[in-house]
Amino acid sequence: MIARALRQTALLLALALLPAIVSGVVQLRWDDAEPLAAGEVRAATVREWGAKVQWVDARPRDKFAAGHIDGALLLNEDEWSKLVPAFLDAWDPDLPVVVYCEGGSCEASHAVARRLREELKIGNVHVLKGGLTAWPVK
Amino acid sequence: MRLLCLLSLLCFGPLAEAELKWEKTVQQFQRVPDDKAIEARYTFRNTGPTPVTIKSLRSSCGCTTAKLDKKLYAPGEQGEVVLRFTFGDRKGSYLKGVTVTTDEKTAEPVVLKLFVEIHDPLTIAPALVFWRKGEAAAPKTVQLSTEAAQRVRIKSVTSSNPGITATLQTMQPGMQYAVSITPSSTAQKDAAEITVQTDFPPDAPHTYTIHARIK
Repeated sequence: MIARALRQTALLLALALLPAIVSGVVQLRWDDAEPLAAGEVRAATVREWGAKVQWVDARPRDKFAAGHIDGALLLNEDEWSKLVPAFLDAWDPDLPVVVYCEGGSCEASHAVARRLREELKIGNVHVLKGGLTAWPVK
Repeated sequence: MRLLCLLSLLCFGPLAEAELKWEKTVQQFQRVPDDKAIEARYTFRNTGPTPVTIKSLRSSCGCTTAKLDKKLYAPGEQGEVVLRFTFGDRKGSYLKGVTVTTDEKTAEPVVLKLFVEIHDPLTIAPALVFWRKGEAAAPKTVQLSTEAAQRVRIKSVTSSNPGITATLQTMQPGMQYAVSITPSSTAQKDAAEITVQTDFPPDAPHTYTIHARIK
């Protein structure tokens, strides 16, 4: 009786494992091939640009202080008016600007990128797809 | 076989309806930056026969907080979640969300959505003018405009740098202005912040900034 129950449990687990493996493989590939939203750029593309990038950190000040991508400038919407002058002092019109936030469902990078493009009319502004999850800070 | 049936039922049993019923899960507002923040209330009632515990409220942004008086709601009891969105220096359209998770075993988390349009009465286009080093030191123009419903008079424009001057032109008083910005030279990197003083709102008139750079 116990042996039979164990066999049935093993069968159920095996049945559940197969779709889980297929789903995992599909999702990994999907992540890689997930289409870019308007204005987004993949981490792989930014790596190809090398050091010739102006990073912008769109997160709150405390998170920026706790760690950020080397060379990144703090520019968020909580303190937009206060932070824009320092960003513009450092900004090089010949370099692409790449804005990031936490990653996942974070929207701050898109909001900051939109304001750079629309209010300041800065071209060549991108949002890092996946945020810091795609470019972990060491 | 009975075990197989039981496990299958546990895994694939039909989903029951949520017991927490929300009056509305989406709200929309128009605000001005001076409002500083908005609070939206989302009311709900436990329509089921058992108590429901709200386990977590997860916000999509640090600028949005969610407040709940208590966690446990008896059958028939009503409650509310208060979302507070702090504007900071935000302008434009925003969608903020808070995900509500309960202890109802079969119910999906509910997402409370808050759409807010933060509309500034004065539009500055563009808020940045720049010249490259060695470029002709020709004037560049910034347009200031308001919507027909809102008059905003520009009282003055002042440059922080005497090497980059700003001149105000009134096209349509209270509605349309132009600021002409001219560097004396573009030989060196330079910067100026042009302060635009308005008369609106009368009790605490706003100032705006136009940025000028020589790169």
